[in-house]
Amino acid sequence: MIRLLSLALALFLTVPVAATAQSLQDILQTHQDKVLKPGRRTVGVVLDDLIASGLPQALPFLESWRDREIVQRDSDGLFFRVAEDGDTVTLEDLDTGETLTANADGFTESRPNGGVRRAIGDALVQFQLSDPDIAKRQAAVAAIARSMDASQLAPLAASIEGEPDAALKQTKTRLAGMLGALFADTTNARVAAIEALSGDLSVDVRAVLNTILASSETVAATIPGGTNVAQMLVVGADLTETEAYDRLIIADLADPLITKTQIRDALIANIDGDTVAGIPVGTLNTDAARALAYDLLAADGIVPPRVDETTRAEAIAAHSFYVAYAEPDTAITDAARTALTAIKTKVGFSQAADLGLDALSLASIYFLAAIGLAITFGVMGVINMAHGEFIMMGAYTGFVVQQFVPDYTLSIIIALPLAFVITFGAGVLMERTVIRHLYHRPLETLLATFGISIALQQLAKNIFGTQARPLTSPEWLDGALIFNDVVAISYIRVAIFVLALVFLCIILFILKRTRLGLEVRAVTQNPGMAASMGINPDRINMLTFGLGSGIAGIAGVAIGLYAQVTSEMGASYIVQSFMTVVVGGVGNVWGTLAGASLIGFLQKGIEWLNPSNTLAAQTYMILFIILFIQFRPKGIVALKGRAAAD
Amino acid sequence: MTASFFARNPSVLWFILILSIFTVIVTVLSEVTGVDLISTSFVKTLGKTLCLCLVAIAMDVVWGYCGILSLGHFAFFGIGGYAIGMWLMYARTEGIVLTSLAGQPIPPTPAEISDAIGNQIFGVVGSSEFPLIWAFADSLTLQLLMVVLVPGLLALVFGWLAFRSRVTGVYLSILTQAMTLALALYLFQNDSGLRGNNGLSGLQNIPGYEDVPQATVSIIFFIASAVALGAGYAFFAWIVSGKMGSVVKGIRDNEARVRFLGYHVESYKLFIFTTTAVVAGIAGALYYPQAGIINPGEIAPIASIYLAVWVAIGGRGRLYGAVIGAAFVSLLSSWFTGGGAPNIDLGLYVIQWTDWWLVLLGLSFVAVTLFFPKGIGGLFDYLVRKPQ
Repeated sequence: MIRLLSLALALFLTVPVAATAQSLQDILQTHQDKVLKPGRRTVGVVLDDLIASGLPQALPFLESWRDREIVQRDSDGLFFRVAEDGDTVTLEDLDTGETLTANADGFTESRPNGGVRRAIGDALVQFQLSDPDIAKRQAAVAAIARSMDASQLAPLAASIEGEPDAALKQTKTRLAGMLGALFADTTNARVAAIEALSGDLSVDVRAVLNTILASSETVAATIPGGTNVAQMLVVGADLTETEAYDRLIIADLADPLITKTQIRDALIANIDGDTVAGIPVGTLNTDAARALAYDLLAADGIVPPRVDETTRAEAIAAHSFYVAYAEPDTAITDAARTALTAIKTKVGFSQAADLGLDALSLASIYFLAAIGLAITFGVMGVINMAHGEFIMMGAYTGFVVQQFVPDYTLSIIIALPLAFVITFGAGVLMERTVIRHLYHRPLETLLATFGISIALQQLAKNIFGTQARPLTSPEWLDGALIFNDVVAISYIRVAIFVLALVFLCIILFILKRTRLGLEVRAVTQNPGMAASMGINPDRINMLTFGLGSGIAGIAGVAIGLYAQVTSEMGASYIVQSFMTVVVGGVGNVWGTLAGASLIGFLQKGIEWLNPSNTLAAQTYMILFIILFIQFRPKGIVALKGRAAAD
Repeated sequence: MTASFFARNPSVLWFILILSIFTVIVTVLSEVTGVDLISTSFVKTLGKTLCLCLVAIAMDVVWGYCGILSLGHFAFFGIGGYAIGMWLMYARTEGIVLTSLAGQPIPPTPAEISDAIGNQIFGVVGSSEFPLIWAFADSLTLQLLMVVLVPGLLALVFGWLAFRSRVTGVYLSILTQAMTLALALYLFQNDSGLRGNNGLSGLQNIPGYEDVPQATVSIIFFIASAVALGAGYAFFAWIVSGKMGSVVKGIRDNEARVRFLGYHVESYKLFIFTTTAVVAGIAGALYYPQAGIINPGEIAPIASIYLAVWVAIGGRGRLYGAVIGAAFVSLLSSWFTGGGAPNIDLGLYVIQWTDWWLVLLGLSFVAVTLFFPKGIGGLFDYLVRKPQ
């Protein structure tokens, strides 16, 4: 195997083929000095000879050499692998592997420096590419991918054929393709390699293509022949006159402008009593006056003259500004550009898909946060400012359960129903003690529940402290669902999406298909009539409010899994939640879904337009909602007929 | 008109009388006269409280009289503060910059001065350019105009949009809260042009009067706040007492009926909403030079809700109720959170009021809403019992 590879290497690398049937020691003796005191320049010859020899013992020798285990016996100049053992040393023959013990004196150590060891490492990579151990082969491939180099193409290409592992073979082929695109000998080979890359979305392929297309913006009086011009720059359109002139200055093609600071410094340097060039210092408080004084100084030859507008324009007109590729071959840059454009189109589509997934997951978070509110506010018409604190209570329930149940999967399974029970209880308590008395005074409900909200928030702060508490997700929720190099979504977000769907179904089922739902709808539409039909409105209101609050608790556990659990987490969702319900249309679960989708997608869309600024996205989002309500005050899904009566 | 107005509203005269006596007492006992029984910092606290009372009156008019629970009036308050803060900061920085540039061998150009000021003010957010909104910052007159115009215009546009499409009740509350949140989030950005999270600072130094001691400055602002509060009280008392006041109260009680009686409800609401916003802006412009610093956190939606809490605890629908509520709750709040209240040792657990004050406030707020809808001001009904 190694022999085959080495033969291939010998053919590829234009290295003098050493005579076969040599021993390792013979080769080393030929280069005695270079082995003993290797330098970065000299070591290449030794390595080439070693590789060309095709000796199997060369590989272990290189490893030992790199690890500084090679010594030379002073008496006869022979090299050995050494293992020190106190006063004596154990020497190992490099060819036969025979060992002998000797006194530690009389040996000189070969101490390759860092650069040499790196060169040895590169050579080793070539051996390792065909190593029987797959881990070593993978390491070698990874090493090549880290620092691509022309010398690696040949050994890598040679090792593909014999690669037994299918996955590694694919990686090698892909890497060889990239190396080929960068370093293949002929234009045709490079173009072919580049074209083969055009289907690949990965970041490293794009990096390779960008390396080929590396360009620099330059300026010259006449474009030198053989320059691969990417683009001509038009002054006034592609770059401003100031920029153009700056480039001329940098390229040493024009005299530098005199800056305002320089003028100021020159004037200060030439103050004569109370005047500069005959102009009183006190009047030099405008740029025009300073320029005048400077010109007077220049006329006296004290300072260099300013470059005036005409000179500047002439200098700019006399030169060409252009972008030039570092790669001189047009065919290659054209191919790379075509490939990169094709990849960019595909990446664009993938990014759109990824953005869609992000938006979907944000929408499901909003939906989860708002769905409980859709019941209490949307169906019952009770505005509950403490809804966010129910979300927080759910999240803290999850945190407390995790303190007692170390198994994360089990703790989540316990926390979900427990959070429901606790917040259901809290909701029922709140309905009985406070909200019941305020059913016909909505503004006061708002304020009373706000009072509860600040009390609960501070209570949580007193109990759990101000720092964020982690809610760790089970292991099977770690990682992400990866579609390709661009499109990926973490499993937690998938879980939240699924949870949102499940909630939608459960709530629709309860409201539309159960006795409770029927009674809720009856009480919502006409409490008096419902009461006369034998429904107890008090009981129904209590249960509905409890249900809405309980769902907020479960949402809290889910939200806590991907965000931090703090006493303020509820407050950060409350405004968005109300927005979601109002935009969607009050009194309708489908409306809440529509509202959450609209807000989620819109917010991601705005973030995409201005990715650096999430705050701005939220600002514009809220402004949009305010305007939206102008045009559809009843929301997206507006109730009609008797149900809509206030 | 005046004679009959004061005759019909004796509370206005009483209020102004009490406020004047209070102002005189504080001034006499302050450091300025040499008595020094009230420290300068407490004079500032009192002055700030008077400003809070003023914005609470505005809140009471818009909520207690007109029935619009606005959760955005503290945002107008903050805008007023930012407007005056821009001038204070610009003028003070200009003074510093001019002093430091005066030592140069040749006089600076206007561009150099402007650059140096920009560097001083915006260096903290990594910029030195003056944003467009600072265009008038060099003029006190224009910036004082901004104190009135910016909250007024914002309230006018927002109110026109909201009232036109008949957004009422809790929806309007949520919408105003959203507006406040949007404004706060916008100001939190570093590129908003108002120094983002850092806000404006050093506002307690009045440019041009650096050598006047803070004790004097604080008393002047205290008196100015008292005058503004008295004037605001009289102004709103006049508004809500006349025929217009009756229409406004009618809107609160039954908007549809007032509309069917032929009144243009939207105009009345818009007028009240905008006027109160302007007064809130003025209150803010008086408050922040005493506070010394303003940042976007002050504008966050929670502040506007606290404003509603003050008015509710004081008793809405009566102007002196708002004043009592704002003064009582804000002073009590600084007493509790400032560590003034003694801790209660329960043996197992020590109740520290710095931690538990908000719990107490929240719960007492619920209790007031449930059991004393008339608030503290309702107690006056027992004093002035009308013959049955």
